[in-house]
Amino acid sequence: MSAPPFAMTAGTVRRDGRAVLDAVDLEVAPGDVLAVMGPNGAGKSTLVKALLGLVPLAGGRTEIYGVPPGRFRDWRRVGYVPQRLPMGGGVPSTVREVVASGRVARQSRWRPASAADRAAVDRALEAAGLTALARESAHLLSGGQQQRVLIARALAGEPDVFVLDEPTAGVDAGNQAALAATLRDLAGTGRTVVLVAHELGPMEPVVTRTVELEHGRLVRDTSSPADMRESA
Amino acid sequence: MGMLEYDFMRVALVMAVLIGLTAPAVGTFIVQRRLSLLGDGVGHIALTGIGLGLLTGTSPVLGALVVAVLGAVAIEVLRARSRSGADVALALLFYGGLAGGVLLTDAEGGGGTSLQSYLFGSISSVTVDDLYVVAALAAVVLGVVALFGRELFLLCQDEEVARASGLPVRFLSALVAVTAAVTVVIAMRAIGLLLVSALMVVPVAAAQQLTRGFRATMLLAMAAGVLSAVAGLAGSFEYDLPPGPSIVLLALTLFVAAVLGGTLVRRARARAAAGRRIPAVRSGVDAEAEVLGG
Repeated sequence: MSAPPFAMTAGTVRRDGRAVLDAVDLEVAPGDVLAVMGPNGAGKSTLVKALLGLVPLAGGRTEIYGVPPGRFRDWRRVGYVPQRLPMGGGVPSTVREVVASGRVARQSRWRPASAADRAAVDRALEAAGLTALARESAHLLSGGQQQRVLIARALAGEPDVFVLDEPTAGVDAGNQAALAATLRDLAGTGRTVVLVAHELGPMEPVVTRTVELEHGRLVRDTSSPADMRESA
Repeated sequence: MGMLEYDFMRVALVMAVLIGLTAPAVGTFIVQRRLSLLGDGVGHIALTGIGLGLLTGTSPVLGALVVAVLGAVAIEVLRARSRSGADVALALLFYGGLAGGVLLTDAEGGGGTSLQSYLFGSISSVTVDDLYVVAALAAVVLGVVALFGRELFLLCQDEEVARASGLPVRFLSALVAVTAAVTVVIAMRAIGLLLVSALMVVPVAAAQQLTRGFRATMLLAMAAGVLSAVAGLAGSFEYDLPPGPSIVLLALTLFVAAVLGGTLVRRARARAAAGRRIPAVRSGVDAEAEVLGG
């Protein structure tokens, strides 16, 4: 049997001596569409970053497809969508440039972008409804459009598992519906999705499993949001 | 043009083109990483290398190269290690480098003139051998940009996404810093250590007023860099001015022109977009807010 996309055992993250993630056990199975929920400051973003090895664990262990993040090499299988597109020093990037950078894990340093790379970028732009905006400066788009750019970047890499950190924060209803449609397509092709959300909104029917964090602890793990409402 | 009759000017012009191409190419990444003053710091540190080179009777350029690269790596380590203490640590490094350089060149006895020429540039003293060294270093810098450009783009865009894409983030960060250090040494003879980083930053700041993409910004910045370097050098020859400051002031003039040009272009685009999208809105100010913020 192949290893699951993510498996964390007693994962603990400390910041300034305080446990922001406290002995979390979490295994994400292939094909799961998992929503990580909870109030602000509960440790949702920290959890997904720890799953990816972006935040070091103070205790416990975590694995990506059976390998600790530090030794994991198959990063093309993972697509990470951060909360926002940083401005940096203000050098502009076109939407297409940002999306194309999602291919980097699949590209060789020694070869220019291939026809397959360009086709994947075209498909990602199309799927996110960004084709018409491809030549625009990504930083001048609205928050919802920028979120779509970040998702398209992950799509361009054609990963097996998507990790989205608050993809709906500050996003209008239209863009939320578009996001839900994209997630449904991903789930339909058997991809694994882990997403951080304050509330699910239009994504609710797509989500197959929900975990809830409070003060860094996993307090609830339910197989669908409907179950969670019953237990609440 | 009369200046091409002089050997040293032909050498100097080739060097100006190389500097104009390399400094903004590296600078685009530096600016996006919010390290605009990195070149400045490396320049201060490199001065100690020049002092060491002069004192030991070896090549000042080689000394500057070695110390600048070590300094750049030290800066990168400090930056990555601590978010809060790095600021002061960097300042210590910069002042140490500057003071060390002044002390060492003084001890060497060469005195003010040689120090002056490294601080503010002295392109007329450049030899053909210097040019070969600079050309080789420029090839290395442009090679790094071409080979690692895609990875550096993502690194400068978002370091966490770069890590989650499996990129060697620490190596790439050091690569940016070291490439900047090499660029400082390339430009040092012509522009001087105190003004070197201007050519890494100012053409990029000018280009980004007018462009929508990263690659376009880099190419336009390189064009602005070459224009500033060549025209600044020619102007300094014609009017007997110091070349470094002439080049930098010309680049700043291009920046001001780009800011004005960019404002006009954005206004025109906003008006055009307002005409297309929301014909009911007449006010140009509202229309601009719609496009830029909406």
